Amino acid sequence: MNLERAIARLVTAGTYVSVGLLAFGVVGLLAAGRSPLDGGPSLDPGQIVGDIVALRPEGFLWLGLLVAIASPAARVMLALGGYLRLGERGMAVVAVLILGVIALSVGLAIGTEG
Amino acid sequence: MIVGLLMLGGGAAAGLFGSLLGLGGGILIVPILTFGFDLPLRDAVGVSLVSVIVTSGASAGVYLERRIANLRLGMVLELFTAIGALVGGLVAFLLDERVLAGLFAALLVYVAVTMGRNSARRAAPSGDAGSTPPAAPDPSRRSAAFVDRLSGSDYRVRRLGPGAAGSVGAGVVSALLGIGGGAVLVPVMHLAMGVPLRVATATSNLMIGVTATASAIIYLLRGGIDPFVAGPTAIGVFLGATLGSRTAHRVDVRVLRLLFIVVLLYTAFQMVRRALGVA
Repeated sequence: MNLERAIARLVTAGTYVSVGLLAFGVVGLLAAGRSPLDGGPSLDPGQIVGDIVALRPEGFLWLGLLVAIASPAARVMLALGGYLRLGERGMAVVAVLILGVIALSVGLAIGTEG
Repeated sequence: MIVGLLMLGGGAAAGLFGSLLGLGGGILIVPILTFGFDLPLRDAVGVSLVSVIVTSGASAGVYLERRIANLRLGMVLELFTAIGALVGGLVAFLLDERVLAGLFAALLVYVAVTMGRNSARRAAPSGDAGSTPPAAPDPSRRSAAFVDRLSGSDYRVRRLGPGAAGSVGAGVVSALLGIGGGAVLVPVMHLAMGVPLRVATATSNLMIGVTATASAIIYLLRGGIDPFVAGPTAIGVFLGATLGSRTAHRVDVRVLRLLFIVVLLYTAFQMVRRALGVA
């Protein structure tokens, strides 16, 4: 499989997994009669699995959002592996730099919080 | 429950009209959430960023599979959009919401004027506006070989420097205002870099994911994304955009475009009022 096709499939799969999780969460939210304007819980990664097991909508919504946000980074990682295999060092460096910027945004968001 | 359904419907309308008119849904999501649901502008931007990531994903996959999007060029430019988005995401939390409202009003006017001009151009007979002839490579540049690898089979990428600068700008605008950045990226790639319009549009769509992710992470970790609002909105936008992409060829968008320009200008007026503290 060529690199473009592999990346296309990853991006598409990430999108549909994320949409499925969000849709499940939205149906649960509506079925519970809760208003979106009540305000959802803040992100607690340790709580997500428990919420999903308990079929609480917030678990599905948070996981769906995290999958959506992680998919583009996963796409860059796949591209990095592909370009290294193809011996395209220039593009591999570009991929590493993109991942570095994403990592920096995580670090700065946490480091400059509040 | 009714609020959730309304949010779903608002997102669907944003996705449908955005798709029919060749815009992302982002430009409509922020006003809908701000004026329709009284959400703070910054929170609406965070939700919009997630929505554009979800919406762009499906079409980006198709564009890549059909080899319309240029992966190499997209990755080089998204390094710069991501840097811009990182800066924009940090700046967004330092700016007063009224400043953001003023910036959003300027964006709405810019898009309305661009759409008006394009309508006038379509009405007038013209040559092929969809592509530019391949430009000759600049042999004096040391990076010519790398730039050549970014080119397509029937076009040659030029002026990477201005393209990179424009991409940083697109990233900043995306992070501040919650849009995909195509309003800036497509003209930069097409007009400054000689990329055919179809390829520029597809490549810009591919780049939305990484661009929006760099700033969405900041909004997410700083509590700027509410899952109860983001869920219904993102699903609505996704459904609306999917419907729009399947019906676009059957819809005469000329009247719709004029109506949309009026809506954009009215929304810009409301944003200006908010910026001035009278709304």
